[in-house]
Amino acid sequence: MINGKWHAQGSAAQSDATLRSADGVSFFIDVQDGANYAGALDTLKISDRLGNVERKITLEDGSIFATSDNNAIDMLFNQHSSANGILHRIETNMGWVVTALAVTVLSTVAFFKWGLPWGSEKIAHALPHETNQLIASNTLKFLDKYIFDKSQLDAERQDRIREHFKTKIAPLSAGEDSEIVYKLHFRAWDDGSDGIPNAFALPSGDIILTDKFVELSKSQDEIDSVLLHEMGHVVRRHTLEMVIEGTFVTVIVMVVTGDSNGLADMGLGLGSLMLSSNYARDHESEADLYAFEHMLVAKINPISFSTIMNRMTEYMEELDSDSKTKTEEDKKAVKEDEKTILDYLSSHPPTEQRVEIARQYSECFKKGMTTCDIVLEE
Amino acid sequence: MKALSFEGSGMEYFKIWIVNVLLTIVTLGLYYPWAKVRNNRYFYANSTLEGRNFEYHATGKQLFIGYLIGMALFIAYVVIGQVFPTGGLIVAVIFMLALPWIIWRSLKFNMRMTSYSNVRFGFSGELPGSYLNFLVLPILLFVVIYGGLALGFMMLMGFIGGGLIVGILIMLIVIALGIFAYAYMKKRNTSYIINGTRYGQGEFTTKVVTRKFVNILLKTFGLGLLAFIGVYALLGAILYFTVGMDGMKTMMSVQKDPAAMQQVMGGMMGVVMALGYLLFIIASMLVLAYSLTRQRTYVFENTTLDEKITFKSTLKAKPLAYVMITNFLAIIFTLGLAFPWAKVRLARLMLENTQVSTDEGFNAYLTQKVKEGSALGDQIGDAFDVDVGLGF
Repeated sequence: MINGKWHAQGSAAQSDATLRSADGVSFFIDVQDGANYAGALDTLKISDRLGNVERKITLEDGSIFATSDNNAIDMLFNQHSSANGILHRIETNMGWVVTALAVTVLSTVAFFKWGLPWGSEKIAHALPHETNQLIASNTLKFLDKYIFDKSQLDAERQDRIREHFKTKIAPLSAGEDSEIVYKLHFRAWDDGSDGIPNAFALPSGDIILTDKFVELSKSQDEIDSVLLHEMGHVVRRHTLEMVIEGTFVTVIVMVVTGDSNGLADMGLGLGSLMLSSNYARDHESEADLYAFEHMLVAKINPISFSTIMNRMTEYMEELDSDSKTKTEEDKKAVKEDEKTILDYLSSHPPTEQRVEIARQYSECFKKGMTTCDIVLEE
Repeated sequence: MKALSFEGSGMEYFKIWIVNVLLTIVTLGLYYPWAKVRNNRYFYANSTLEGRNFEYHATGKQLFIGYLIGMALFIAYVVIGQVFPTGGLIVAVIFMLALPWIIWRSLKFNMRMTSYSNVRFGFSGELPGSYLNFLVLPILLFVVIYGGLALGFMMLMGFIGGGLIVGILIMLIVIALGIFAYAYMKKRNTSYIINGTRYGQGEFTTKVVTRKFVNILLKTFGLGLLAFIGVYALLGAILYFTVGMDGMKTMMSVQKDPAAMQQVMGGMMGVVMALGYLLFIIASMLVLAYSLTRQRTYVFENTTLDEKITFKSTLKAKPLAYVMITNFLAIIFTLGLAFPWAKVRLARLMLENTQVSTDEGFNAYLTQKVKEGSALGDQIGDAFDVDVGLGF
């Protein structure tokens, strides 16, 4: 006999009641001070078991028999509803729970470490080149309107760099992606002081060089190395990959926090920032390798890349510390700091590592090799 | 007055949760609506008052179509936002215009899917009220605060006439006006949701006034100001006594071993940064807990069901802040695995500090029939079952 409560359909009032089944086929419900019910067990609807919460048994007239005697209910209805209890059996089996935990943790790590970058790359390369043009369209116009000024470089110098790029560098990408048309743009990026040295590529193949960058570069090789790095981003469709990865991360974060009480959001913001910088770092390394390999083919010393990168970094740091008028010690301390903490947040790989790879490629270059095996110490 | 209680346990819910997560992963997210139902059922059914419990009645199937539509729209929004920022803005505006309708449908759906002691809740608020509460008032508030602050700031900086004193005065007025406008919005939201809520044939009513919300928000504002000044002062002091001292030491010993000195300072800065982040989160949670518990107490004691059944909140700021902060730390340090335990703890605290007068009893309440809307409308409404509530 199972003790419980009985509610008329849609009524809050409840009476004590008991449920009996003599033969496992029919049932008898005895409601105190009320009607009695008898019938076949399979006319009753039972809610799925969930932890130890009260079970509701709905009778044909919509009235409810509720009981906390879960085990008795499970025994009584076992033969009528085999599917009902599967989730509950998984949830209460320690082996299943541990397995679920392990699978969840491992698949989460694997997904963010390999699955998402891999999937984004596949999707990015499966999309037509028009997608790239779509993303890039208006970007340059937008940047010209709000960020850039007209280049102050003399026209002759611009033409020289363009001509060299067109005849010597762009042809290196022959056979990679015939739809990309590379085009150089010169712009001034003024930050109120002396201008910012930078070079970047739009996914359409437009590469933008700032005046300060051209000014800081001391040889054609240095400019070429940076141009090849930017071409690497374009060929590997890194912008598109970032868009796709960003979409996934946003959707996942939304789904995860949508379920929470809102307090975990603050930690998740930092987490997703770290994640996307991590992907950006991988892209930089990929573009570096692209540049180094093509430099070997074009007989340009790969060390030029690390030379110009170092010069740009030093210039930016000086600019930074000048504005804050720090002592030499402070500057060094801040630099040390950035290395330890901000590594995780940085969208660029650690400089030493880039320099080391450039050095090894340079060794290969000196031996006249056209491919190079890199040995990296962790 | 009797308090509600929560009869679930962290361990039991952990098992349910982890199986939900697993199934959601292996079905690539398609299981999510069923997972949500199981979660909600667990929390509702374990919430009891006088031996009778709440129940969540929605089924995974009901939520599924809405979930698919919602996901598709959301992904479209994110993609458009990433590809064209201006396009994303347009989609955001359209979404903003649709949001009050979505909230209204969700309120109706979620109330209808909730029962206590076999009697369903309901929501009878009208759609225009939702547009007033979730579109018009927020926009007004935004315009008042940002417009006013910008005006004051421009005068302060001398971009437009008016001068320093008028600029400061305008900013102070805007802050006061902003607090009043926010309090007014809070009052309207609370009234809209509570006065529209039904329990069977019973009607909830609340008699909250703007003045009380102004009072609570002013105190919250002051407390927030104090808390952040405190955090800044503390961080400044820590920096002074660690990096500041080291800086002096470096000056003296820079010739001996500069590399080692930098190492020490680098590590120190990292600790201070992490500590600062943590302190700000703790401070915000304290302020949040204060604001939430005061509003909860005020709203509960002015709310009745059919003018007979009364409510009371005994939740205090300190225990709530304690649970929020320790939950947050536990979730961070277990990389999310403590989430079920944290959720159970918070639910228990909230319920045990909710009191209801039970002398009248609930036996006379009956579930009311509702007019069925169009099937499509229902499905779309179900789809977006956004969780809207008063936050307590």
